[in-house]
Amino acid sequence: MNGPTATVERIGRIVLENVEELGRILLLFLSALSWMVRPPLKLHHILKQMEFVGVKSIFVVVLTGTFTGMVMALQGYHGFRMFAAESLVGSTVALGMTRELGPVLTSLMVTARAGSAMAAELGTMRVTEQIDALAVMAVNPVKHLIVPRLIAGVLMVPLLTVVSDFMGILGGYFVGVHILNINSGAFMKNIFKYVTLGDIYNGLAKAACFGLLMSLIGCYKGFNTRGGAEGVGRATTEAVVLASISILVSDYILTAIMF
Amino acid sequence: MTVISTEAKVGLFVLAGIIILAFMSFQISQPGFGLKRGYTIKVVFENAAGLDKDASIQVAGVEVGRVESIALEEGKALITLRIKSDVKLPRDVTASIRTHGLLGDKYVELSAGTKGNSNLEEGEQIANVERQADVDKLIHQISGISEDIRGVTTTLNKVLGGKAGEEAVGDIVTSIRQLTVNLNAVVKNNQQTLHAMLENGRMLSENLNKVVTQNDQKVAQVVENLQSASKEMEKTFASLSEVTEGIKKGEGTVGKLLKDDEMADRLNKTVASLQDVSDKLSQGKGTLGKLINEDETVTNLNTGLAGINRYLAKQEQYRTHLGYRGEYLFEHNNWKSYVDLRIQPREDYFYILGLVADPRGRKYIRDYTVNGVTSRVEEWDKNGLLFNVQVAKRYRDLVLRGGIFESTGGAGFDYLAFNDRLKLTFEAFDFTDDNRRAHLKGFGEWRLLKYLYLTAGWDDFINSDNRSPFVGFSIRFEDDDLKYLMTSAPIPK
Amino acid sequence: MIQLVDIHKSFGKQKVLDGLNLTVEEGKTTVIIGRSGGGKSVLLKHIIGLIRPDRGQVLVDGEDITLLNDKDLNEVRKKFGMLFQEAALFDSMNVAENVAFPLREHTKMSNEEIMDIVRNRLNAVGLSDVEEKMPSELSGGMRKRVGLARALAMQPQIILFDEPTTGLDPVMTEAINQLIIETQRAFNLTCVVISHDIQSVFEIGHRVAMLYEGRIIEYGTPEEVRASRNPVMVQFLAGSIEGPIQIL
Repeated sequence: MNGPTATVERIGRIVLENVEELGRILLLFLSALSWMVRPPLKLHHILKQMEFVGVKSIFVVVLTGTFTGMVMALQGYHGFRMFAAESLVGSTVALGMTRELGPVLTSLMVTARAGSAMAAELGTMRVTEQIDALAVMAVNPVKHLIVPRLIAGVLMVPLLTVVSDFMGILGGYFVGVHILNINSGAFMKNIFKYVTLGDIYNGLAKAACFGLLMSLIGCYKGFNTRGGAEGVGRATTEAVVLASISILVSDYILTAIMF
Repeated sequence: MTVISTEAKVGLFVLAGIIILAFMSFQISQPGFGLKRGYTIKVVFENAAGLDKDASIQVAGVEVGRVESIALEEGKALITLRIKSDVKLPRDVTASIRTHGLLGDKYVELSAGTKGNSNLEEGEQIANVERQADVDKLIHQISGISEDIRGVTTTLNKVLGGKAGEEAVGDIVTSIRQLTVNLNAVVKNNQQTLHAMLENGRMLSENLNKVVTQNDQKVAQVVENLQSASKEMEKTFASLSEVTEGIKKGEGTVGKLLKDDEMADRLNKTVASLQDVSDKLSQGKGTLGKLINEDETVTNLNTGLAGINRYLAKQEQYRTHLGYRGEYLFEHNNWKSYVDLRIQPREDYFYILGLVADPRGRKYIRDYTVNGVTSRVEEWDKNGLLFNVQVAKRYRDLVLRGGIFESTGGAGFDYLAFNDRLKLTFEAFDFTDDNRRAHLKGFGEWRLLKYLYLTAGWDDFINSDNRSPFVGFSIRFEDDDLKYLMTSAPIPK
Repeated sequence: MIQLVDIHKSFGKQKVLDGLNLTVEEGKTTVIIGRSGGGKSVLLKHIIGLIRPDRGQVLVDGEDITLLNDKDLNEVRKKFGMLFQEAALFDSMNVAENVAFPLREHTKMSNEEIMDIVRNRLNAVGLSDVEEKMPSELSGGMRKRVGLARALAMQPQIILFDEPTTGLDPVMTEAINQLIIETQRAFNLTCVVISHDIQSVFEIGHRVAMLYEGRIIEYGTPEEVRASRNPVMVQFLAGSIEGPIQIL
């Protein structure tokens, strides 16, 4: 037994496995992409997923958005008061929400809610042979199951982000103007002055990428589930962890590119 | 309890999301007044340090516009200001750069000006600029001026000093008095003639005005002639200055001349011939000064100049884009190509003329008559080209287009996002064929480089026989040479 | 009809199929027996193209499906129906939608036409008034019936059964066996059944094939197989622990 060699070998294997997994996720994405442009797409399936990912996440997104905005206003206030620049709280909240917290928090919440459910649902379908059944019935599982989820993720996460941005600013306004007594005119004026359309749209572009990552990883983990009920549980956990990490890492990369 | 369908729920959510997004975008975008509304005026500052694009423009602390662009012109800062259309600025407003706010933001302050004055119009320049006083410079200039004045007085002293000088001047003054008396008589005696002359002058300028408005092109030539004329003038002025220079140097000579009695006599004679000239005036040759002072004449001349201005401005406003666009249609394994010319007379308004090469070619419907029976046959000419003729109007980020699409009637819209980098387009056309559904097309276009765009979309997606996803690219550039061709200016050899 | 020629398949280091040859005769029920985990399901999945072999040919009506692309493979699959071990009904759809699913995906029939076919197929498998129920509300036997109804929906020529009677009580086992026999006759189907229930094998099978160590070691009518002298066969039929089959 050679200790160091074994360790190096183990590390090598882990790296190799991860690279392989990345490759498989990419291949799944390309396959989904090629099915996406081939009609017919069943609108109803897509709408069903959009309802699941989007409509049913509104409540949780509204809640996180509002409270994030409120907390930011509160924190920002204590900082800016030192420079007698309380009116900058508005633009801080608005910029923070549109550029960063809106997209990231929304997609993390949606990952926890919908990404995990995707992994669990597809995982169950895999272990109970429902995915094989689809293939046997001459229905491509990627097209039938994954394409609608990817489309829903890409479209709904930005839309939820819009809601989150708006609620965050509203929450910040409420705390800033009604609780901390910041001049409401100055609060709003600074928002208009420092927030540009680019801030909003780049935030939404990020959200679309996160939505894609979330649903792609959820689908991938579910689609490749092995080992019965326990496997489904494992796939779900892995999907949430991997998707969350990917969102945070890609957030850095996208921010570096965009802003 | 009624159950709301999936479609309705998703639809409502999407609608709500888009409304919120649109609301936020409109609140934040285009601070103030949207795309290219209002009018622009120019102002030149010696120094515009700290002033940024989109900086505020204020009158009495109220925002009336934003700085549109900052450029360098002859070592000074040329600032273009975009002013809200409902704000009228008198011609004598004064512009200055001020500072406000915690962060020391610069803005342009316009003083209100005099109310009775005419207002500044599109493209005009503010004449009054409040500059920061540069004391050194000021003193330098003043000392220069006082030196000049001293020089002049010295010369005058030399010329007019002495007895002979005094006498000569006396003679001159007397002669001039006589001249004016005569002139007066001329004017009195010939009032009617003068009136007639003025009338003629006015008609002349009126006609000139008509000629100008009807013949913008000729005006261009005139302007060109004027330009060459003014070059000649410059030369003339140059030689004139040489002459005056000579006089300056020979100041002694002039003095001598004036002292000399004979010379004084000659001068008298000269004045006498001037008298002669005034006599001739009585016969109806001249009176230009009065003519120019006549009000209507001035108005006519102004209108004439406005015509020239309009012509020149037009040349600046026309923008022309030439583009090629290729789409690779997956289902046909073939390229569909577009060449188009976009003529943009105004920022928010343009025309498209284009040719399309569709892999299917062009459809012709022919009537064949065989044995008295007429049958209608559709034929596809593979080499046939289709054409586009469209009118487009832009509202903020939305462009609406209508006209002829691929040789059939249709309409479409483009939505522009990310500072016009991304364009989402939907087109609908070819409604006339009963056997087929309308031709719908949707695609996105992303500006990759300055001239290169990438595109992807779905062509004719509700007709199963022709629908196809596609990817492609387009190249588009603004052609300056073409622009001048279009305004019929002479082609440079 | 269906021919498997020299099929090899390994998962990692484990050899599952090792030069397997089998011909499934048209209009007959062929039962494949063999040890649990001996590759019977893998064999079945080869027939319908869910798994591609490492080597060998799978001929369906003379066409080698291992060479087909997704699109053409789907055309071939429309000839097949398959009943999975746990029926593999879609949890998110009720019974009627499960049976209607292939029709909705592949035909342009109106809703009424589809519902007529759904009722017809459910009657054929002995079910009525279950259309609105969800799969989770059904018993194991009923789920298999619904699964069979779904497999029959597109009027396939071939039906594959993956252990249709596993996990059912003797009465239900008998009922399912009868159902297989009846539907095979009624629709004149070619059936491939995987089973290790010896009693069922001889009841429903026209042909019996024994899969052992990656090959078919015995093939024939039930009578021929029963009379086989092959020690593996003898041990398997007798259910004895003494013999060439290793238990561990």
